[in-house]
Amino acid sequence: MTARDVFVVIPAYNEREALAQTLAELEPYGYSIVVVDDGSAIPEIEYIRTPVSSPIWYLRHITNLGAGAAVQTGTEFALFKGASVIVHFDADGQHIASQIERLIEPIRQGTCDVVMGSRFIDTYDRKLVPLKKRILLRAGIVVSWLFTGMWLTDTHNGFRALSRNAAKHIKLVENGYAHCTEILGQIRKSKVRYMEMPTTVRYTSHSVAKGQSMFNSVNIFIDLMVQKILR
Amino acid sequence: MTEIQAVLILFSLLAATFASLLFRSRLWYRLLALFFSVTAISFVIFPNATNVIAHHLGVVRGADLLLYLTVFAGIHAFLLLYAKLRKLEQKLTGQVRFLAISNGQLLSADSTQQRTRAAVRG
Repeated sequence: MTARDVFVVIPAYNEREALAQTLAELEPYGYSIVVVDDGSAIPEIEYIRTPVSSPIWYLRHITNLGAGAAVQTGTEFALFKGASVIVHFDADGQHIASQIERLIEPIRQGTCDVVMGSRFIDTYDRKLVPLKKRILLRAGIVVSWLFTGMWLTDTHNGFRALSRNAAKHIKLVENGYAHCTEILGQIRKSKVRYMEMPTTVRYTSHSVAKGQSMFNSVNIFIDLMVQKILR
Repeated sequence: MTEIQAVLILFSLLAATFASLLFRSRLWYRLLALFFSVTAISFVIFPNATNVIAHHLGVVRGADLLLYLTVFAGIHAFLLLYAKLRKLEQKLTGQVRFLAISNGQLLSADSTQQRTRAAVRG
């Protein structure tokens, strides 16, 4: 498996400079990159510099659908292009490109199908998480457990790697942030092997501002409830 | 017949007509709308009938029974509409996704010039 077979899917909505920076950080590794512009006001393509060592695919939703929809679009596209491993990566600069290798290693070795990043395994990573966010994420763990039966240390981390086989089982219908819990349910249902791995999340003023609020967390909970009822 | 009864009957008839036009080629929906309109008109003309039915069902007043039924119907209608909305949203998502994947472009050095205005703007 070469670096080209690893597809990094980046959902982006009005990210602009943050996205350009994220791409610059990813480029030296030579992965195939899929940027899914989720209907940004100014197309994100205008902020993407010409790649030198990494192929960058640019996909654009003609209207804003939500992070979950963008993740699903990027995943389907990566599968279509023959990806062996698919990595979900945030556009706002929260995730660290150099940690991708570590994340995909178990999949390369064939010992695991899904590796999920967690900021609560390593003490150093945990300390970086603001207190308010820590409380919110803890609540998210309980909610995810109620809906999926999976007890994980970090359920709303957008940094995860999936083998081709695992990605084929993922069909997200939750367009918003509720997809983070939905994906766990599908992972469990498909009986693929999964594990968590410590990853660092960088909290910048930009990423904190774009993060989920308390109100949005309630929305996510309602979305999950509705999905459960209407399914 | 009082004035308010006349107005309510008129509204019921208008609602039935509107529903009939709205649910074209959906016989069951039309019949249901007709049933509700006839029931509503009957209750307007014979207000005490609701009390009789309410007593049979163990509810004290006919007005209370109507309130319960209205709340129930409201929740039912809300859920139906929400389910429909989600289905439509999924259809829209499918179409938007199809377009995005079909029009996906590989960025190369050739596309640099087209995007230089971003750098200027940035």
